[in-house]
Amino acid sequence: MVGKDCVAIACDLRLGLQALTVSNNFPKIFQYGDNVFLGLTGLATDVSTVSDLFRYKVNMYRLREERNIAPRTFANLVSSSLYERRFGPYFVSPVVAGLDPKTGQPFICGFDSIGCIDFAKDFIVSGTATEQLFGMCESLWEPDLGPDALFETISQALLNAVDRDALSGWGAHVYIIEKDKVTKRLLKGRQD
Amino acid sequence: MEVLLGITGKDFTLIAASKAAMRGATILKASDDKTRQLNKHTLMAFSGEAGDTVQFAEYIQANSQLYSMRNETDLSPSALAHFVRGELASSLRSRKPYNVNLLLGGVDPITHKPSLYWLDYLASLAPVPYAAHGYAQYYCLSILDKHHHPDITLEQGLKLLDLCTDELKRRLPIDFKGMVVKVVTKDGIEEKPFDDDKVVKSA
Amino acid sequence: MDTLVARYSRPAYHQNEVFTEQEQQDLADAVPGMPSLSLKFAMPPVAHPSAWLRAATDDRSNPSCPIKIAHGTTTLAFRFQGGIIVATDSRATAGNWIASQTVKKVIEINSDLLGTMAGGAADCQYWLAWLGMQCRLHELRHKRRISVAAASKILANLVYQYKGMGLSMGTMCAGVTKEEGPALYYIDSDGTRLAGNLFCVGSGQTFAYGVLDAEYRYDLTVEEALELGSRSILAATHRDAYSGGFINLYHVKESGWEKHGFTDTNPVFWKTKLEKGEFSNVTSDLAD
Repeated sequence: MVGKDCVAIACDLRLGLQALTVSNNFPKIFQYGDNVFLGLTGLATDVSTVSDLFRYKVNMYRLREERNIAPRTFANLVSSSLYERRFGPYFVSPVVAGLDPKTGQPFICGFDSIGCIDFAKDFIVSGTATEQLFGMCESLWEPDLGPDALFETISQALLNAVDRDALSGWGAHVYIIEKDKVTKRLLKGRQD
Repeated sequence: MEVLLGITGKDFTLIAASKAAMRGATILKASDDKTRQLNKHTLMAFSGEAGDTVQFAEYIQANSQLYSMRNETDLSPSALAHFVRGELASSLRSRKPYNVNLLLGGVDPITHKPSLYWLDYLASLAPVPYAAHGYAQYYCLSILDKHHHPDITLEQGLKLLDLCTDELKRRLPIDFKGMVVKVVTKDGIEEKPFDDDKVVKSA
Repeated sequence: MDTLVARYSRPAYHQNEVFTEQEQQDLADAVPGMPSLSLKFAMPPVAHPSAWLRAATDDRSNPSCPIKIAHGTTTLAFRFQGGIIVATDSRATAGNWIASQTVKKVIEINSDLLGTMAGGAADCQYWLAWLGMQCRLHELRHKRRISVAAASKILANLVYQYKGMGLSMGTMCAGVTKEEGPALYYIDSDGTRLAGNLFCVGSGQTFAYGVLDAEYRYDLTVEEALELGSRSILAATHRDAYSGGFINLYHVKESGWEKHGFTDTNPVFWKTKLEKGEFSNVTSDLAD
C-alpha cells in the first residue's frame, strides 16, 4: 500500500493444510536490502523456495554491483525468474514494495505465478482473501497517507479482510517503510 | 495411519513414532522404528510412502554424518532442517519425488536450546513447539494447545505424550501397535521405555 | 433422448418427482397427523434430481459449483452427573468465504429438548423446527412430554426417507426426562442414530474430541463441565479453519435447558493464552 513518501506491506501468519492450521507463525514477508520487501502467498513450500532463491540472487547482485538492489530492478528480477518456470511454475503470487533509493518514491507491484507484473499507484493484494482485501482497500485507501495513517489503514484492511476468510488470519505482520526507517509491528488478530 | 509426534520442553525434545509397519490391510511388523539419528543432537522421524521414507531418511543421515566427519563439527538442528527442506524441495520438482513427511527434533549443541521442525512431503517447513503428522494432527494438536508449556520437564513431557497416545488409542480405528519414544537432550539421544499395553476405555 | 421426451411430453417437474403425489400422501399417512405441507418439495425438472443437485451444490467434488451450501462446524454434547452440556461454534462458511460468524447452531426444539446443527444449515434448521412441531403434536395427542429416544427416532426415520437425495446433517438431540434421565442421541443424514455419553460433530470434531476426552469424567461438576465444553470448542475454533466466531453454551437439566452465553472466542482465547499460558504456539510478542 502506497502512502506519502512511505509504503506499507503486511501479511498474515497462518500456515495450514486446507482446514487444519499447522503453524501460527509463518511470516510471508521477506526483506532484501534496506527498503526492498517481497510478500509471497501461495503454496508454502514455494514461499520458502522462492524467498531463498531471491535471497541468493539479491546477494549475488550486491556482490557484483557493490550496491543494494532497487525495488524496480528487483521487480524485474522477480518477473524474469518466475517466467523461467513458465511450464512448471512456482505456485506463488508475489508482491514487491519499497522506496526508490534515488528519488525516495514509493514503489509497489504484484505478479501472477508466471511473472506478469501488475504496477499500481495505490495498493496490491494477493492470497486467498483477495476479494475481501480489494473491498477493504478500495474503501479505506486514500492518496498521500502519512506513515501512521498508512499503518492504521493497512492494518484495518488486512485484519477485517482475513476475518471474512476461513483460510487466513491467525495474527499479522505489518512493515511501514520510510526513507531511513523501517517499522515492523505484530498484530494480534483473531485466532479462529 | 502412521503416527508421528514431537514435543519440545525446557531442555529436551521428545520424538515418538508408531511401531506398526503397515502395507495395505496387513501389519507386517509391530516393532518398527521410524526414526533415524542424524548426529549427536538431532533425530528425525518419518512417515509416508513405503520405500521412500527409509531411503530418504538414510540419505539425509549419511550426508549429515559425512558433514560431521569432514568438518569435525555437527550441523545444528536448524541448519539440518533447512538442508532437509532443500533436498525435499528439489526432489518435489523432479521426475520421481520422495513422498515423505518428517519431524526433525534436536537440541542446539552450543546454546542447548531445544527445537522441533515440521516438514511435509511438499517440503513446507515450520518451526513449532509441538507437532504431529497424519491423522494424529487432528486429535493431538488441540490437546497440546491446551496442555503444553515451553518450560515443561521431561516427566511432564512424557505425561503429555501419554495423553496424546491415549486419545489416539481411543479414537483411531486402526491399532498402531504402540510407540517408539526417543528423547534428545544436550547429552545425546536416548530411547525411553513406553507402556504400549495400556488399555484405554472410551467415554 | 429420454430426457427430451420427458421434457416435452408432460410438465417436467411432475414427470420427474422422486415422490409422486400419491407417495407423498402415503408418507404423510405413515406418520399420523403429519401435515402434507412439510413433504411437498418441488423437484428440479431434470432426469436425475439428486445427481443434478449434487453437481450443483457439492463443493468438495466440484469447487466451482454454482450453489454453495453453508458447511463447517464444531458442535459437541456430553452427558455427566449434572445433566448434559451442549456447546457449538457459530461460523458458517461457503467455500472459504465466511458467510456468518453469528449462526445459532443450537436449536431450541422446545423448553427441554435441544438439537445441534452441523452440515447443511438450512437442512438442520428446517428439520429440527419440523421436529419441534412433531414433538408438540405428540404432547397434545398423548398428554405427556415426548421422550428423547422417540423424538430422535422421528428425526432419524425422516432423514432416512430422504437418503441419497443430498440432505446433509449431523445433529445431536439432548434432553433430560423423568423416564430416561439425561439422554443424548446422535443422528446423521445417512440414517445413523446412536445413543451415547459424548459426541462431537463437524469439521472440527477431532480437535474437540482431543480436549474433551482427555479430561472427561461422568462425575464432573457443573462448573467443570461448562468450562470443559467451552474450552473444547475454543480448541476446535483455533485449529479448524471452518469453525469460529462465538461459543454457544447450554446446560440441559431435568427442569429444562439453561443458556450459558454466546461468547466471542477472541477475548476468551487471549485470556486463556495470557493468563493460563496455553496455546504456546501462538506468538504474542514480536521478539519470539
